[in-house]
Amino acid sequence: MRHDRLVLILLWRELVAGLRAMRRRDLAWIALGGGGLLAYAVADIVVALRAAAPKLLHDQLLWMLGLPIIFAVLGCLAGNSMSRLCLSRAFAPFLKALPLVSAERRRMAGVGAFALGFPLMLMIAMSVGFACAVIGKPLAPVWGLGAAILFALGFGTTTLWRLQRPRFLLDEAASEAAPVGKPWLRRLDRARPSWLSSWAWRLPAGHVRPSWKLAAAGLLLALGAVLGGWASLAGRTAAPAAVAGLAGGILVFMLSLRCQPLGSPVLRTAPIGFTRVWLRLVRLPLQLSLAFFLLPAGAALAAEPSAWAVPVAGGLWLLVLNAAYAVFGAYFLNAPFVAMLSFAGALAYAGYETLEYGRTVLIGLAALVFFLWHRTRQRYRNG
Amino acid sequence: MDEVLAARELSAGYRGRIAVRGIDLSLRRGDILGLLGANGSGKSTLIRAVTGQIPLIGGSVAIDGIDLAASPERAKTGFGLAIEPHELPAPLSGRQYIELVASIRGCAPSDLRSGDLPSGDLLERLGLGRWIDRPIAEYSLGTRAKAAIVAALLGRPPLLIFDETLNGLDPVAAWEVKRVIAALCASGRHAVIVSTHVVEAVPALCNRAVLMVDGSLSRSWDAAQLAEAGRVPGAFEESVMQALRMRAAA
Repeated sequence: MRHDRLVLILLWRELVAGLRAMRRRDLAWIALGGGGLLAYAVADIVVALRAAAPKLLHDQLLWMLGLPIIFAVLGCLAGNSMSRLCLSRAFAPFLKALPLVSAERRRMAGVGAFALGFPLMLMIAMSVGFACAVIGKPLAPVWGLGAAILFALGFGTTTLWRLQRPRFLLDEAASEAAPVGKPWLRRLDRARPSWLSSWAWRLPAGHVRPSWKLAAAGLLLALGAVLGGWASLAGRTAAPAAVAGLAGGILVFMLSLRCQPLGSPVLRTAPIGFTRVWLRLVRLPLQLSLAFFLLPAGAALAAEPSAWAVPVAGGLWLLVLNAAYAVFGAYFLNAPFVAMLSFAGALAYAGYETLEYGRTVLIGLAALVFFLWHRTRQRYRNG
Repeated sequence: MDEVLAARELSAGYRGRIAVRGIDLSLRRGDILGLLGANGSGKSTLIRAVTGQIPLIGGSVAIDGIDLAASPERAKTGFGLAIEPHELPAPLSGRQYIELVASIRGCAPSDLRSGDLPSGDLLERLGLGRWIDRPIAEYSLGTRAKAAIVAALLGRPPLLIFDETLNGLDPVAAWEVKRVIAALCASGRHAVIVSTHVVEAVPALCNRAVLMVDGSLSRSWDAAQLAEAGRVPGAFEESVMQALRMRAAA
């Protein structure tokens, strides 16, 4: 008996169960609101593409290098997430007792990942082909096909690499229970309520696990800070370091904020309010974010002392953006990646519309943040 | 105030669908209430409603005289809930979990001993001592239940709630927990709700019992009836089965 479609069936059942668990009113809001927003976004993009067509058509760097890299990277990211999703289902604990060898489970995951990747590839081909037709690019379908092939190459390579190494995924899960590494967080995490950050970061008994991911992220962020500082000092201008500090600071905050304890009955049945728990969860990521910000901000101040307002404004914007993301993080408490995407999407969209309609759009963004805060607080109190 | 739990005309459910309806329940200090019912009868939903995990569709809940809907944080100081074992924070060690709960409740993590409890270190008596510094992810179901019970006792709240927590315990730990429950209630400062499927354990442990069927209270037993049923082996089980049969026939 072959089980190739088992992963797909499991994912389908999860999707159906998730949709059934939602209220019809919420589903209707998502379908109508999301559909309306999508239609508006498509119309807006078409108008923007038409306006920028002459410039886009003659940008050789974009067509020869920029877009190919973007689609290959998109394919890699999609392949990584889809293969992770399918491997986690193929190696699910409740399937452990079944007589399925590892190769068979990997094949199940592979079938699932490629079945999910195919519609994504079609969407890429159609979107690029449509965009090329809108700006009047010759051979629009060929460009669409080319983009889909690049996406598929990135997707396929990453998926096959992941499928060859399912142990990576399993080792990550197993290491959550093993207290290795140094208990560095013990001193920092004793503030009341104690151990909330260890819990949020899933650090076994407060032990920080050294890992290549942590090292790579630290190295990249340090490199960004040093480059920003160097650019400011070399050019005697505060702006590059202030921008590096702001961008790096929000990135550190987004990568380190985890809010899943907000959904636990341990806190929801305890005599502690939502705001106190939320502030406590935000505390350590905020400290990390500000600690990162200080180095480039110091460089900005040293490079151009008279422009002290630039790093100060950067710091204030960092606090505002961190607070806004903390609300997104709490709302999407079990899906930090979705929170990051949603926040980045909301910021990008608000920024884009600000160009057209002015800063009043920011009021809409603020209203969205307050609405998410209200819903999250209600969910904490009432389930 | 003697009444530590007052639920009036309580209705609750999930996403607008009513799972328990018209519940009137009052618990006084010294009461040990056995909450019985088949799977899906609404026991856990009732406990979730009483502990503020799901919104009330109708009625009200007051814990130690404080309305749960009006002042949820104040009302929640009035009860200690033994969290379901799978909902404990798996990355934390047992000690860290106890410290977390103690810091929320504003008491010391060692605030378990009192004149109301049997003497001796409760962690050791429950067999939790050698596990206490390991992550909860490594615990068995029973060991998790022990950690949840210890955390529920912290700060000595007047109402203790055990939702099928006793089911996973080994005989020694179950005996110790029953001894603790009996001692706490005998002090006259606490009331306890024990939701369980172990029907035969109820007459020996509880002085009140209620049976839930299809989301409502179907039958109740007072202390005298439980004592009477406890004298004859199997009599209480027979009484529960009879109530279930009558309800099914109705």
